[in-house]
Amino acid sequence: MNIYEELMHGRGYAVIPVENMETFIKLRDSFVERINVSNGSEKNIEFVRKAIAKMSKAEINKSMIDILKFTNLSEMIVNSFPKLIESLCGKELFIQRRATMIMNVPGEGQAKQWPHYELMSGISPFTYVIWAPLHDLEDQSGAYYINRKESLEIMKKEQSTGLVNGPTVLNMMQNQKSIPLKFGQAIIFNPFIIHGNVTFSSKFARIASSVRFQSCKKPLLQKNSEYLKYYQLT
Amino acid sequence: MTTAIITTDINIGPFKIPSNGQSMIMNNYAQRNNLVVELAIPEPMMSNALATVQWLHKETKLSKVILSSIHQLPTKQDRIEELLKNMKDVEFHFALEGISGKGRDFLLKTIKEAKMFMEAQTIDSAKTTWSDLYKVITKDKK
Repeated sequence: MNIYEELMHGRGYAVIPVENMETFIKLRDSFVERINVSNGSEKNIEFVRKAIAKMSKAEINKSMIDILKFTNLSEMIVNSFPKLIESLCGKELFIQRRATMIMNVPGEGQAKQWPHYELMSGISPFTYVIWAPLHDLEDQSGAYYINRKESLEIMKKEQSTGLVNGPTVLNMMQNQKSIPLKFGQAIIFNPFIIHGNVTFSSKFARIASSVRFQSCKKPLLQKNSEYLKYYQLT
Repeated sequence: MTTAIITTDINIGPFKIPSNGQSMIMNNYAQRNNLVVELAIPEPMMSNALATVQWLHKETKLSKVILSSIHQLPTKQDRIEELLKNMKDVEFHFALEGISGKGRDFLLKTIKEAKMFMEAQTIDSAKTTWSDLYKVITKDKK
């Protein structure tokens, strides 16, 4: 599959394999090491997922703030997919300065990601996003993506009424099916693709990493050095 | 040995941050990183030479300085050289970008990063629509 064609003229998103598993495993292990949960003798990703599933919202928020100190996370994600990123953007990049670790807890009443487009942030229309879970996803515990054609139709419809991310988008959480992924797989998508996640049931939390990137030769909406940083692929 | 925050002109590279806003950003950064601020240095408007800071460093011996952004570093070569010569032992912190370090290599790398941003092209969001932005990316050649 030609990923660029799929992102620009196909579905707008694609499932991709991690190219450099050694780096990605280091990323996962680094996260496990940094996250502040009771340090058992078998502290691994499954142990951490189980511990997070039992945390209060305040404890999860605190953990997410602690993880901001994982300052080389962006580079580690990018270096897990170097060939694909180079083929899309070249070697000289603007990448998200602080990549995100997303922790979602199962059950009703837990924090969910409302449907949205990445372009909402106003950084750039040329960014791509890679979203990669740190473990196999159980049924329905992943994220859903609305294909490019439908995302664009909704965007145009809302734009004609002066809205962006209005009720049509926000009501899209119902009946969505998430994409099943294994550890070592990821999703790449363009910033016009609507996506989000729904309530899921499991004994384990879902933990995923995500990063935005683009060629530094492409225009930005904002020269935002707080959000992006310059990075050169080796 | 003193830790100082530095306010500059409201125009900071791509940002426009009033002096009081700069102080809030830097003091919040100091608090989050357990830094105790002992001195506030105002640089004059329309200058990114950091000349006042360098002059005060001779008098006060600064150990750490906090700036709001990497875009407050000098851009002219002679000013850069002055800064590298006079402030090589001072630890620089940039609050918005959340980065810190000291020495010639760190400062040159940071100045290069600021330059990359300033050289980037932009799209004026006030003169476009979401649909037009989509057209821009699909017509663009990789």
